[in-house]
Amino acid sequence: CRAQENESQDSTWHAVASWTWDAQDETCGICRMAFDGCCPDCKLPGDDCPLIWGSCNHAFHLHCILKWVNSQTPQAHCPMCRREWQFKG
Amino acid sequence: MAAAESSLASPMCNLAILDSLNKNSVGEMTDSWNAFCLATENLLGGGGELSLDPNFVSDVRNLCSRGLESLIVEHFLCSVEETFEKNGASRFWKHFGVYRDSAILDMEDPDQQSAMQDILHKALEEIISEKQYQEKCLLMLVHALEMCRGSKSEEQTYLKTERNYLFSKYQLTTASVLMASIPRQFPDVLRWYFKGRLEELSAMMARGSENDSELHEDDGMDLDCKTAEMDIDGTHHHKSTLGNSKLVRNIGVVVRDLRGLGLTSIAEDAYASAIFLLLKAKVHELAGDEFRFSVLESIKGWIQAVPLQFLHALLAYLGESKSYESPSSGLKSPLASHLSFTHHGTGIPSEGLVRWQLRLEYFAYETLQDLRIAKLFEIIVDYPDSSPAIEDLKLCLEYTGQHSKLVESFIAALKYRLLTAGASTNDILHQYVSTIKALRTIDPAGVFLEAVGEPIREYLRGRKDTIKCIVTMLTDGAGGNPSGPGSTGDSLLEELNRDEENQENSSLDDDANTDDKQAWINAQSWEPDPVEADPLKGGRYRRKVDILGMIVSIIGSKDQLVNEYRVMLAEKLLNKSDYDIDSEIRTLELLKIHFGESSMQKCEIMLNDLIDSKRTNTNIKATLKLQPQPVADVGEHELSLDNLNATIISSNFWPPIQDEALIIPGPVDRLLSDYAKRFNEIKTPRKLLWKKNLGTVKLELQFEDRTLQFSVTPLHASIISQFEDQTSWTSKNLAAAVGVPVDVLNRRIYFWINKGILAESIQESGDHKFTLVEALVESGKTGANTGSCEELLVGDEEGETSVASVEDQLRKEMTVYEKFITGMLTNFGSMALDRIHNTLKMFCIGDPPYDKSLQQLQGFLTGLVAEEKLELRDGMYFLKK
Repeated sequence: CRAQENESQDSTWHAVASWTWDAQDETCGICRMAFDGCCPDCKLPGDDCPLIWGSCNHAFHLHCILKWVNSQTPQAHCPMCRREWQFKG
Repeated sequence: MAAAESSLASPMCNLAILDSLNKNSVGEMTDSWNAFCLATENLLGGGGELSLDPNFVSDVRNLCSRGLESLIVEHFLCSVEETFEKNGASRFWKHFGVYRDSAILDMEDPDQQSAMQDILHKALEEIISEKQYQEKCLLMLVHALEMCRGSKSEEQTYLKTERNYLFSKYQLTTASVLMASIPRQFPDVLRWYFKGRLEELSAMMARGSENDSELHEDDGMDLDCKTAEMDIDGTHHHKSTLGNSKLVRNIGVVVRDLRGLGLTSIAEDAYASAIFLLLKAKVHELAGDEFRFSVLESIKGWIQAVPLQFLHALLAYLGESKSYESPSSGLKSPLASHLSFTHHGTGIPSEGLVRWQLRLEYFAYETLQDLRIAKLFEIIVDYPDSSPAIEDLKLCLEYTGQHSKLVESFIAALKYRLLTAGASTNDILHQYVSTIKALRTIDPAGVFLEAVGEPIREYLRGRKDTIKCIVTMLTDGAGGNPSGPGSTGDSLLEELNRDEENQENSSLDDDANTDDKQAWINAQSWEPDPVEADPLKGGRYRRKVDILGMIVSIIGSKDQLVNEYRVMLAEKLLNKSDYDIDSEIRTLELLKIHFGESSMQKCEIMLNDLIDSKRTNTNIKATLKLQPQPVADVGEHELSLDNLNATIISSNFWPPIQDEALIIPGPVDRLLSDYAKRFNEIKTPRKLLWKKNLGTVKLELQFEDRTLQFSVTPLHASIISQFEDQTSWTSKNLAAAVGVPVDVLNRRIYFWINKGILAESIQESGDHKFTLVEALVESGKTGANTGSCEELLVGDEEGETSVASVEDQLRKEMTVYEKFITGMLTNFGSMALDRIHNTLKMFCIGDPPYDKSLQQLQGFLTGLVAEEKLELRDGMYFLKK
């Protein structure tokens, strides 16, 4: 029998990874905070402060764009390209 | 005669009296004078019998009638003085001639002592009898004078004062004669005498109290009366007083005799100094180097038992001190004081005795305080054990008020013993904390602590590893010093928190909205700050000494401390192979209390990442069960996602992480991609970016004859897995296979070589060759037994950490400004440090703004100088040409 290194039953590999939103840009166009961080109102990044894409393919923190959309009546526009804002399905 | 009569009133001024002198009367006068002189000489010479000779009387009368009374008195006193000098003083001092070379005299020798004692007793006896005899002579003269004027009753009062005057004059004369011829060694002789007697007495008391304690064991009251009240319990002390009454009486005789000779002050000096010496010796003996017990009470007890007993007996024997110490005290009549001599301790303590007690206690406090202050460093080293000594010192200082002495001496000790290059930062910090705690007891206002702490803080600021040590100490209990006093497992932080709670409870009254009654109580318990307090630093915040605050003030700002903690936390979390972070959460909660939630925000996110990772990890495993993968996909090595766990971090909130390229074994790599894909499915549109060099791998190596388990870094795992298919590699090829530089590989592979798994050989080409060791040939290796479980966490011996250290971070951040600095120096030629600092502050307000401290800038510039980019001359920076 050859000496062998065997990563079977009781061998475990504990790896480290970092997550990232797969957005084209680094920072949110509204709050200028990193996408991988969180909006100024949030404390925890990730699930608690998600990103949202518009139909124009611009991404923002959900909380940021909601605030923007609610302040714009009657029709909100994308802060980046001034196109009509539609949440991307 | 009439003239003579009137001359009695003022014989000196009446010159007319000369006119009335005739030859007859002159002859008469001369005869009487000669007879008087002769009689005086005989009397004082001790030849004449001590009876009133009628001739003597008539002579005196004769002379008096001529107005020569003052001459008689003068002459008599003169001859008395002469005789006293001849017969009394010189003989008296001659006794002590033996002790002229007092310095070499060995007073420890009991024979010597008793010899001296005898001499002293004898000499005193002799001189006193001489004096008594002379006093009798004086009395005769007085009688003779009285008889001359016996008939004139109106002059009785005058005579009485004159008599007193005569005797006091005689006293003065003898005293001055003695003092004028006093030998140098006499005070020493006296001191030795009293010292010897006191020691004897002390030993006797010790024996007595032993018996007493046996006798009094059951009534349990004797301790109280020993220490609490000055009043001496009659029954209790009667026995011991009886035991040494002879000794005390002897001493009393000596003191009284000395007093009679006008040597009061010398005698008092001598026994006072003997008592103080004895007391000092006792304090040293009791206190010594023992800090675990309080000694103050026993010292006080001893003062009550020995020196005060002695003084009490002595003063009582001398008929109390009324006559010379406090004639107007009026506590007792002379009769009462006499009574108190016969019945020991029935009366109220006399003023003299109370004064003595105060003196002795003050002296004891001061001695003990000096002793403790000199040893304060040691006391604080074993602080929690030595708190009784601290309590003692506190009481002493309250009494003596010599706090500044403590501060000076302790700072000197610190500088000499602690703040040196040889002391480890941990030890200094521990001592600092103990100092804070100990001094907090002595001085709750923290005024002296401020003074003492400053040098320590100053010194610690100059040390590089201070922050790291503080953070370790705060979070890890023993502070990385398992043998230290704090090895109970509790972190300093938890301890502080407990303290805080206690303080909170005890000082709830700090609230502003307490009712009036409480406010009044507070106002009554108010105490002014000590005199030494710095008035610039207001008082109220000083009420509580904040240990953590004092520690943070070493670093300067809590941000630096939090930053360091974050780096350490990251390191710890990244090396965890399970998701167990309970202790970290607890520490973080404590830190939040002290530093505020906002500054710990990032750390909280880090911990949250771990919790999320655990959840995500379980979710991903769950998807696996729902749609089982075809076995073929997993590969021939039977690797499944069960073998993979992941920590998923929000990298923005973690300290910068060392990212190194690494090629991990194919199966694992595929597994990682699979995991990432599943993550992406669950958390769309989020993606995973693997940090392949981080994490831990638990693996099992199976050899022909043994199985070994290891817990290693991914790099180590990759290296060893390469040997699975090919048992020997050159370093170059192996480095290419795992995707790291050769030097890194060479450094890391030593782990396996040290474990005896790989063997290294050097080929002709200079390349290292590594071969797998199939079977264990050498017998002496560790882990030789088959199946031994070797669980090893690879310590990062070479400082290979997964997280960039604070210094590295700083360097990275500062490189942004390098361009600015070189630009500035090109324009201005040369600049001083603070000018560069100010210029950067003024112009770098963009992204990122310049927010470094002067020290940080200096460190960075020093780095640039070392890289030969800049030059430093006379405090000015230049561009290197």
